[in-house]
Amino acid sequence: MLEIHDLTHAEDGVTHLDHVSARLAPGTLTTILGRTGAGKTSLLRTIAGLLVPDSGEVSLDGQGWSRLPPWKRPTAMVTQQFINYPHLSTLDNVAFPLVRKGLRWPAARDSARAMLDRVGLSAMVGRRPSELSGGQQQRVAIARALVKQAPVLLLDEPFVNLDYKLREDLREELVDMLRNESGLIVLYASTEPREALSLGDRILLMAEGRLLDDGEPQQVFGAPATIEAARVISDPPINILPLTVGAHVAAGPFGAQDAGDLIRGLAPGEYRLGLRAADLRPGGRHVARVVLSEVSGSETVTHLDLAGFALVMHEKSVVTHPPGAEIAVDANLARGFIYGADGTLLRREAPHGQD
Amino acid sequence: MTHQPLDPEPRAPVSRTLKLALKYGFILFWSAFVVFPFLWALTTSFKDANGVTNGATWLPWLQYQPSTQGWASLFGGPGGTNIVRPYLNSIWVTLGASVVSITLGTLAAYGLSRFTFRFLFFRNADITFFFISQRIMPPIVLAIPFFLMLRALGLLDSLAGLILVYVALLMPIAVWVMVDFFNSIPRGLDEMAWMDGCDPITTFFRVILPNAVPGLVVAGMFCVIFGWNDFFFAFTLTFTQTQLLPVSIVALNSSVTPWWALSASALVSIAPLVLLAFVVERFLSKGGLAGAVR
Amino acid sequence: MARIELDHLAHSYAPDAPDPAWALRPIDMVWEDGGTYALLGPSGCGKSTMLNIISGLLRPSQGRVLFDGRDVTALDTGRRNIAQVFQVPVIYTSMTVAQNLAFPLVCRKVAPAIIRRRVGDIAERLGLAPHLQRSAVGLTADHKQLVSLGRGLVREDVSAILLDEPLTVIDPQMKFELRKILKQINEEFGITMVLVTHDQNEAMTFARTVVVMNHGEVVQAGTPQDLFEHPATTHVGYFIGSPAMNFVEARLEGGMVRAPALGLARAAPAGLAGGDLALGFRPEHLAPDGPGQRVGGRVTRIWFEGLEEVAEIARDDATFRARVPSGMFRTGDDATLALPDDRLLVYREGRLVV
Repeated sequence: MLEIHDLTHAEDGVTHLDHVSARLAPGTLTTILGRTGAGKTSLLRTIAGLLVPDSGEVSLDGQGWSRLPPWKRPTAMVTQQFINYPHLSTLDNVAFPLVRKGLRWPAARDSARAMLDRVGLSAMVGRRPSELSGGQQQRVAIARALVKQAPVLLLDEPFVNLDYKLREDLREELVDMLRNESGLIVLYASTEPREALSLGDRILLMAEGRLLDDGEPQQVFGAPATIEAARVISDPPINILPLTVGAHVAAGPFGAQDAGDLIRGLAPGEYRLGLRAADLRPGGRHVARVVLSEVSGSETVTHLDLAGFALVMHEKSVVTHPPGAEIAVDANLARGFIYGADGTLLRREAPHGQD
Repeated sequence: MTHQPLDPEPRAPVSRTLKLALKYGFILFWSAFVVFPFLWALTTSFKDANGVTNGATWLPWLQYQPSTQGWASLFGGPGGTNIVRPYLNSIWVTLGASVVSITLGTLAAYGLSRFTFRFLFFRNADITFFFISQRIMPPIVLAIPFFLMLRALGLLDSLAGLILVYVALLMPIAVWVMVDFFNSIPRGLDEMAWMDGCDPITTFFRVILPNAVPGLVVAGMFCVIFGWNDFFFAFTLTFTQTQLLPVSIVALNSSVTPWWALSASALVSIAPLVLLAFVVERFLSKGGLAGAVR
Repeated sequence: MARIELDHLAHSYAPDAPDPAWALRPIDMVWEDGGTYALLGPSGCGKSTMLNIISGLLRPSQGRVLFDGRDVTALDTGRRNIAQVFQVPVIYTSMTVAQNLAFPLVCRKVAPAIIRRRVGDIAERLGLAPHLQRSAVGLTADHKQLVSLGRGLVREDVSAILLDEPLTVIDPQMKFELRKILKQINEEFGITMVLVTHDQNEAMTFARTVVVMNHGEVVQAGTPQDLFEHPATTHVGYFIGSPAMNFVEARLEGGMVRAPALGLARAAPAGLAGGDLALGFRPEHLAPDGPGQRVGGRVTRIWFEGLEEVAEIARDDATFRARVPSGMFRTGDDATLALPDDRLLVYREGRLVV
């Protein structure tokens, strides 16, 4: 069990980690989802010992790591940049950590060969990193990280600098590889909601150094705990609308007729409503102006302006909405999430997005 | 696979040949320009007084009678001084000072590049500048303090004293070159090595140093060239015991200039640097520098 | 504003070699005035070579480039009236935003009054007006990219904007803003835009026509919908769409193309010769039920993606993937899905037949 206890770190007045705590069990792949600058890298670097936190502690199976320098921690890491030793061959690169651990060369070489075989680079053992493509370089880095069999594996957006399709393929390869390594604690930082959701057994949401939510992907996506969490995990973006309940009911541009059961039992007051882009659809009484519509193969994401409110609509079909055109839209408000004035989830109505 | 850049002009054979001819013509012209002084020194070194005064002649036996007088004078022959001792002295001082400077300078540079230092209001950049600022002062200002210090230590006119002085002069260059080079090696490489179980010392020797070889070569070249060529300090800090090569060559230039001896000694004194140039050139063309810096 | 024509264009970096390796295979193509185009492909597919030829940084080994019918093959970049935005923003760090934007005009010795007006207009258009007097160094990546773009747009004679992976360094949230501005400029000024990218989403959301390239060859050019629904080759089927298109081995049998492994079949088009046949279908086109053929198997793996998930379904030794609403299956379930007949495509030797 890897325990992260109350980590805090600030530099030059910017908070990178703000009281972050989590317990990570062996055999799970945890994704850390957050935008650039959310503190994902700081968290991984703190666990690796490359960053010394202002306060808080990391421990593995009850043993504190505060006094362990990076070179004594049982961690392995793969970064965004393809970092390998330029002066060593591919084989020597992968054997390097084993030799440092005190393994004899023949044994280190055999393990390194076997690992290079698994990442599909057996033909490249003699090459230098500079003679490999980006994807191959990152495979070497992954092989170097895995060969040590460290119980904690840290992956910091490992594929972000690769071609899009290669990224997809390598992601799957990595998962296949990790399935053979039992008992590993894997942390994978990502900026893409889909990647984080599909890859992780568990997901940590971060923003501005804070942990927003922590749980199974289905649970975290199914009921985003705060507005901030909803924003981080939604792609396309989620619509956040002001919701007024009282004598007069209004959810952004939508009125009481649209609200239906949504507001039943809500005390009068000011709330906020989170409405997924997929819960807006064409048709209905409201006329919105198209700001920009983007088609991607089988789907259309349209940015709308409805009575001064910026809305995003996600359709599962290919539709052409020219910019400036006026189209009718309807909202399925009943599927929205209601947040209090402080931004925490009060309740969600109809279950959807999971069983 | 070799990708040669595309010839920007349409490939008309005539213009291509013309271009080639122009290119080689220019190279030949320039080579002549560069080679001429060497040729002059070489012929002169094989002349005697008669041969020298007869003007610029190039062909031995036909235009002048070759003589080994100049070369013999290097070993103390008539009209010359033995330069074997000064030569060996120069080698010792240059190599000694360069090795010490590079070793200390590289270690200091790695520290300055990777760790944060604070001394009063001095930071890393200030310390680096402090090193290089030693070279801003004109040598004449340094000569007297050096003289006094060496005298106090009893090291005047000794190899050890000269090495000490040259280390003081060369190490700033080494630090300066190497700080820059280490800064160009991504920090991520050090961190990866830490993650792979290397402590900082091992990281330096097993990972950073092997990747800094091109920088070491450049720094070493600077040190050797400076140390080998320096006349001023060699002149002010030695008398007779430990004369260095540049000093003894200049000493040749007495009332009657023995051009033959001067030429011969000039050629021998240049030889090590020419050799160095070939070695470094081979190293560079082998791609020693290519790809090392990202 | 220009219509760009590529006439028998081809390029090799070693054209004199006995068997030249083509960085760009011979191609004929017309890009209409005011259109948005994307060159899409993996690293080394020739897309950057093509862009460099159009911008004039590279002279092609053969063929011509025409702008509005005028042969510009031999013209330098500076004389082609092209604005370029690169992966890494190119800005003059010693100048303010306003000076950066004015620079191309200052170099052309345009009158100061006109420069001031143009810079003001462009800054307004790009949302840079509040930053005009700031030093260009401190800008965020997306603003720097806008400044690079603005420096190209400030000239009134710009005929095309070439974008070489301009969104790579931009934060995901800001990418949308930049795309929006680019599209507005395209709409407003009718400037032809060509984007080079490896990211299918970027290509498809940006361009009306996507040109898919592989191994120096244009594999298919069409609307995003076209590429998605009728990939011309199995490679396009793989490259466009996440997850990739499903392909299953098939054979010709009594006038039908049959894939016995999944029990799928489609009437063979007239005159189809045998050979290496395959049936292809999109994971998105499989529905829980509805018209068409049934295809099923055991769910071996699920990738949760939010509202939807991707299920990997195995039957005997063939597997395929389906995009289904979240929570529909669990690993180990037996799944049966419907595939509309017209969504099943026939490929021969890797190329679309019907």
